[in-house]
Amino acid sequence: MKKVLGIFSVLVTVALVTAIISPAFLSSYNIENLLRRSALFGIIGIGASLVIITGGIDLSIGSVICLIGCLTPWLITVIGISPWIVVPSLLVLATGLGLTHGFLVTRLKLQPFLVTLCGLFVYRGITRGILADSTVGFGTSGSELRSLGTGRIPITDSFGLPAPLLILAVVALVTSFGLRRTIWGRHLLAIGSNETAARHCGIDVNRVKIGAYALCGLLAGLGGLLFVLDTGSAQPSNFGNFYELYAIAAAVLGGCSLRGGEGTVIGVLIGATLVQVLRNAIVLIDEIPDSIEFAVIGGIILLAVIADEAVRRAVARRSNED
Amino acid sequence: MLLAVAGYFAFSYRESAEQPNANAAPRLAFVTNGVADFWVLAGKGVEDAASEIGVTSSFHMPPDGLADQKRIIEDLIVKGVDGIAISPIDPVNQTPFLDRIAAQTLLITHDSDAPDSKRICFIGVDNYEAGRMCGELVQQALPDGGQVAIFVGRLEQDNARLRRQGVIDQILGREWDSSRYDKPGQVISGNGFEVVATLTDQFDMAKGKANVEDILSRHPDIAGCIGLFAYNTPLILEALKQSGRIGKVKVISFDEDERTLQGIIDGTVHGTIVQNPYEYGAASMRLLKALVAGDRSSIPDDGIIKVPARTIRKAEVEQFRADMYKKLGQ
Repeated sequence: MKKVLGIFSVLVTVALVTAIISPAFLSSYNIENLLRRSALFGIIGIGASLVIITGGIDLSIGSVICLIGCLTPWLITVIGISPWIVVPSLLVLATGLGLTHGFLVTRLKLQPFLVTLCGLFVYRGITRGILADSTVGFGTSGSELRSLGTGRIPITDSFGLPAPLLILAVVALVTSFGLRRTIWGRHLLAIGSNETAARHCGIDVNRVKIGAYALCGLLAGLGGLLFVLDTGSAQPSNFGNFYELYAIAAAVLGGCSLRGGEGTVIGVLIGATLVQVLRNAIVLIDEIPDSIEFAVIGGIILLAVIADEAVRRAVARRSNED
Repeated sequence: MLLAVAGYFAFSYRESAEQPNANAAPRLAFVTNGVADFWVLAGKGVEDAASEIGVTSSFHMPPDGLADQKRIIEDLIVKGVDGIAISPIDPVNQTPFLDRIAAQTLLITHDSDAPDSKRICFIGVDNYEAGRMCGELVQQALPDGGQVAIFVGRLEQDNARLRRQGVIDQILGREWDSSRYDKPGQVISGNGFEVVATLTDQFDMAKGKANVEDILSRHPDIAGCIGLFAYNTPLILEALKQSGRIGKVKVISFDEDERTLQGIIDGTVHGTIVQNPYEYGAASMRLLKALVAGDRSSIPDDGIIKVPARTIRKAEVEQFRADMYKKLGQ
């Protein structure tokens, strides 16, 4: 918990300041919206963090979201295939893309940046090609599938837990358990800290790394599915644009070192939430013009990283004194 | 092998350059300001008109904004098109660029004008007038006034600015003046109405929906939501549905997204203002063909060929939709 203290305090500060300036921030409706958005970005953030922990990077997340997000409504409403077939197949496809990245990175020894950058271009291009650039959506037919993205479990009259949050909870618990309590997770962290040492210890580095990329692909696919279930339609040219950067920002904010070897799931979730709270605050606070959104997000992320570093150093100093 | 391919293309290019298309069909191009279903209809108009009047047409939707549009237009010039119809993304700043294009080929604008450029003619709707028509719908939907919010992809485009200004001027009961501009980010009120915000999403759907949700949080008493781009209204409907306020908050729309039309039938959308993108495409091809032949007789003195906007409400929606499907060949 100590590791995420800095970033958590930034999140609390931003939330408090926003709530003081705009009381609507704390309305149950707004909180519900924030939980849903943070859950969606949290899912792809966890995927990004697994790859980052190995010292790699995945730039293709946004394009995988585009591919899965656009193909889902297209296959269901235009082609007319049952959602029971479409959803599992597309998740397998996304996992397969991740596996391919992992294979190219480990067996062919290509740079992760390069492999996934090509993925970024290729998947968006394929999606735009398949759909000839036209918008696809679930139309007016209320597919039951959509409740996965838009559904909620009512807690009070005005507040409910959004369905994506429950999915995130499962993803987070499984990943957290996997990272902390399984051999695979231990190996993943070991590889990120020192790949050569891990290899000498007899860890099957390639297999563990391929697994990380595959999981990242799967979670990006799941994210794409939930995003399109939430918005109802997707445009191949811009769906999921830059989302890999939000995912990477969430992971890094949450304490994943880009040099690898570090990272916690809870940190990633706090990081994802911080970005969404910031975007929300910019709309809710009248004094901040919409147009400087990116500047605000960039500035606060930088501050958060600085605060995080300061807290870590203070903690380290205290434990040295002990 | 690559060299061989490049060599082949270089050779075939030279061949085509050496043969001026004196008796060949004119080569015309139509460039949009982005990717949207709206433009698919325009593309159909381009295609239909081209085969009808015997020209070779090409149709381009730049996916990534200004730089992308510029790249495509430059490539078309390299390809040697005889005439080109463009919807400028940023008319003011693109004017020098458009002038360079006008020096190399026959240039007309469609959808959104660049009046200070050397374009020969503009084909499109009067967006300010269309905005005022939309404002009339708002007044009908909310006879007692109230708080309204405007949602739009981006405000850098002339058509978005003019539509927004038209809506605001109409509901505030102001004089007609298309040069007026209320800066976004301030509350504008009068005549019983209060425009609490104009929010842009830069074509990010998730952000567009989040904008609506945030307004619903921030202004619980919001009475009307106005979507100025085709995809804004479906996102407004999604957000309202999820918050359980569908039908309670009035929705006024632009363009003809399927879910907007269905909303009008269901009564969740009060009405929409539609343009005629099919006609933009078809009229551009007809005009450019005449221009290639040296015929300028169809251009009005002010250089603007107006394609009027229409108001679609419950009474007109079925007929309109059937007609649209027919044009799309569905």
